[in-house]
Amino acid sequence: MPGLVSDSGDSLVPFSPEPSPPPLYRLRHAPRPPHSRIAISWARGNCLRVSFFTNPSPPGDQSGGKVVEVSVGSGELHDVQRRRIAYGSVSPFALLQSQKNSMSALAGMGVGSSTNVAEWWEHVMAFSDDISSLLGNPKRATSSIIEDEKVVLKNVEEPTCLKAAWELIEIFYAEKQSQAWLPERLVDWLASYDCLLSTTEGTVHSELVDLQKELATLQVIENDQKYWQGISSALAVGWLDIVVKLLRLHGSYQLDQLGNRETENGLVEAIAVLVSKMPRMRPELANGTLGECFNTKPEYMKAWERWRGQITKLECSAFWVQCEHNQTREGLRKLLQIMLGNTNSIIDASFNWMELYVSHFLYIKPFTMGLEGMDSLAQKCMQLKPSSHSHELMRLMLGIIGENTEVVLAECSRSFGPWMVAHAIELLTIGSSGAETLLHEEQYNLGGISIEELYRLVYAQVLSSHALTWQASEIAPVYLMSCATQGMRLLEILLYKQPVQQNKILLKTLEICRLYELDSISSDIMKGVRQWKHGRKGSGVFWLQKAQDEVRLNRISQQLFDYVGRSISDNSFKQWEGLIELLGQEAKTVSGLDFLHKYRDFKKSLQQITDGKASDAARQAVESLILLMKNPSTPQKFWLPLLHDSVSSL
Amino acid sequence: MAVVVEPSSSDLQIHRLPQPKYIDALRWLPLISALDNPIALALHDSHSATSSIEIHALKTPPNPPSLDLQSSWPCPSRVSSLRVSQTPQKPLIAASTFDGSLHFLATHPVNLSIQSDTSIAEKGFHVGPIWGVDLLGSGGECVTGGEDGRVNLVTVGESRLSYRRVFDSEGLVSYTAAKWASPAEFATGGLGFSLQWWDQRKPGGAVSQFKGGWGRGGSSGIVHSIDIHPSRKHTCVGGGSSGTVFAWDLRWPEQPVVLSGIGTGERENTSPSESEVWEVQYDCFVHSSNISNVSSSRILPVMMCSEDGILAVVEEGEEPAELLAEPCAINSFDINVQNPSTVICSLEWESVAIITRQ
Repeated sequence: MPGLVSDSGDSLVPFSPEPSPPPLYRLRHAPRPPHSRIAISWARGNCLRVSFFTNPSPPGDQSGGKVVEVSVGSGELHDVQRRRIAYGSVSPFALLQSQKNSMSALAGMGVGSSTNVAEWWEHVMAFSDDISSLLGNPKRATSSIIEDEKVVLKNVEEPTCLKAAWELIEIFYAEKQSQAWLPERLVDWLASYDCLLSTTEGTVHSELVDLQKELATLQVIENDQKYWQGISSALAVGWLDIVVKLLRLHGSYQLDQLGNRETENGLVEAIAVLVSKMPRMRPELANGTLGECFNTKPEYMKAWERWRGQITKLECSAFWVQCEHNQTREGLRKLLQIMLGNTNSIIDASFNWMELYVSHFLYIKPFTMGLEGMDSLAQKCMQLKPSSHSHELMRLMLGIIGENTEVVLAECSRSFGPWMVAHAIELLTIGSSGAETLLHEEQYNLGGISIEELYRLVYAQVLSSHALTWQASEIAPVYLMSCATQGMRLLEILLYKQPVQQNKILLKTLEICRLYELDSISSDIMKGVRQWKHGRKGSGVFWLQKAQDEVRLNRISQQLFDYVGRSISDNSFKQWEGLIELLGQEAKTVSGLDFLHKYRDFKKSLQQITDGKASDAARQAVESLILLMKNPSTPQKFWLPLLHDSVSSL
Repeated sequence: MAVVVEPSSSDLQIHRLPQPKYIDALRWLPLISALDNPIALALHDSHSATSSIEIHALKTPPNPPSLDLQSSWPCPSRVSSLRVSQTPQKPLIAASTFDGSLHFLATHPVNLSIQSDTSIAEKGFHVGPIWGVDLLGSGGECVTGGEDGRVNLVTVGESRLSYRRVFDSEGLVSYTAAKWASPAEFATGGLGFSLQWWDQRKPGGAVSQFKGGWGRGGSSGIVHSIDIHPSRKHTCVGGGSSGTVFAWDLRWPEQPVVLSGIGTGERENTSPSESEVWEVQYDCFVHSSNISNVSSSRILPVMMCSEDGILAVVEEGEEPAELLAEPCAINSFDINVQNPSTVICSLEWESVAIITRQ
């Protein structure tokens, strides 16, 4: 696989030397010891099959052993969710592929390319939106729309790392138009997914969650250090609405205190106003978020200078001396320092390098545009906030801003699995011709397929390992058909491996053959239906007919002929009548069957005579009899039964 | 390419409810309280390889549609066919399985709990999957047809079940669908687009046979589902392979009316589907107002669902009307008898779709 890790110095992906502890899986329903032997083997998909063998048991004891299956699926997603994502991504993926094909057909005809490029961006963006909505909709975990004044953090559905990773890739690769306000997109991203970044070392989010719990019990919150720390942290990562909401909980706002804490309250309110007026380089703000939006860089820079000027003025104001409440004075001044871009204050307020990184864009390098300098800044932040544990989202981020497609792919594959890679590739190739060449070039060491195809094949194989995402759902074939070199061949192999015992599943497999015009495979599969052997003679004939397997059909006709010749009673007639009907005209080449058809007609007419519809039926019976007697293929052994039948009807 | 009449979006409300398990079959249960619509689902959990029958209450508008589990019954094998008696005082669920067993669940009409279950699972009953099951209106009698070529009649008593063999082809013919026409007559469907008509008063075999003459050899197919309208007992509609929906009128047995299908020559371009039609049911919602004006030889509108993801209504001499076009197969559906404007269907991708027509 490309870009895979090796621990020599030239590895593409940072590789932590200490191995992570091996995962433990608990066996449910396992039999009690002692066991004489335990065998472990792979079952279908991600299942391990564990077989327990007991000692040779005393006679009468029925428990010979037991087999249990353990699912060793990893990651945060449940199998059900994983399947739901697999189902939901088929249509967007297939649509994008067909759009890609029709675009390249147009390009081949020399139709103007600049409109094509714009159109293509739109298609990819629509694809990305579809996938993103599929992964859940936990937007802005920090918004404070709820009116309860003490609720600063809104409880929303827990976001997933998969969604966070997808959105990160979308921000950097697919959102062409947002390159100008990339830093603000990162602020939004962190607001949604900060809670995922660490479970052990704390985040701004976890600090605010703790603070929220204490808010209900604290009497004088401005005396508490945690209150001021929480505000600083929220400010550092740009969650302005939370900052303002927390500031307004300050005790000096209470009516009974307003009189003697007027200056203090004035300072708190001044900061709250300044925070809510912070200029932001972005097209619009989501509902409930604060700041003033600017679309163009010159306007934004002018507003920024003015805003900074106001902060500096407040910093130097004489009111600070008059503010008697110590914690308030210090807390507020710290907020001012953050807004002024004081590196130490910002480092204090953040928990990990990602948060520090976002603070840098907000307060230290507000005019950053595009990817320029982002990588070196990240390195700097990592040095300032070293961490013992590197989170998968952070590693992905480093790969992206390092503009190293192979690292991004390797991270996606390692942390988020084959689904992620197979779909993220569509975004990775869009803006960069380098990435496109890398991913689409046929690689000699991959057996002549491209990296893109490799990852699609891997994903298709994962799908095929589960009965529901392969067997019936036609998902794996969609991905295989997008693999130009080896997809068709693998599809054929997979089709041959499908079970045929059950009509419904068999028909679903045949439908896939029909969709992809694999006629020879469907006829092979139909010939493989061994119903004949299992006593389902009608069904066996039916499938052989569908497969147009003349050789076997003729042999069956011969057998049937012999069978009918042996037991020619009225009861058995009812039974084989249906089968002769089924064998139909195709088998007419077999002389014996031709006889059986005529014999059937004769018997039918005879029966009608006994039913009372005499005259017509009698004439038909006579005609049939004459035909039968004239026919050279009528075997001698039937003469007697024919005579018997005719006489009995007289 | 299939030609269909697209419904305007305001005519239909469609909701898809993802489920954690594969849905083998689904049916409305008769409604007794006015609140929630009860639904029976036959489910298969691929992870644990277990099957179950669950009763859910469907919350309908003004609430956002959702399914609330009311009761569940573990089924020893995968369900191949599911029927429900339309008797509100005592709803009875009949479920046949791939292993040839038949199960009856008596449900409590109000709290939707399962009050009792009885089964037939002996070797002499069916060997291999039972594809066709139908309950006679009141639920007292049940007909089964299997891949093994047996046709059985089961009498459902208060506490015990008894059955008698109507016919055994010993595997020479397989039956894939069954439907009552009257307390004495029923129809079955089978391989090669065949239909059989049975009369309990005339034992010894089917009284009439129909063989779909158009589907020979490579294009031959299987009838997956049949339906008989209570007011047109002489006509049986069947749905099966290659998008085929056809009607067989006993009075003109040699001339089937083909409503849809790709292998049928002149009607080629009006077929909404090209693959397996898994289920057909007369649609009593369409034109229900002028049903009396229609001559008795005209085939009433039929709803069908298919492997290529189509839910549509086909009618003699009309363009088919598509209700749903999914990227995955629609494996079964059921029209609510008490309120024919709502239809539930099960999608291959483990979800239930609810369609409300205006």
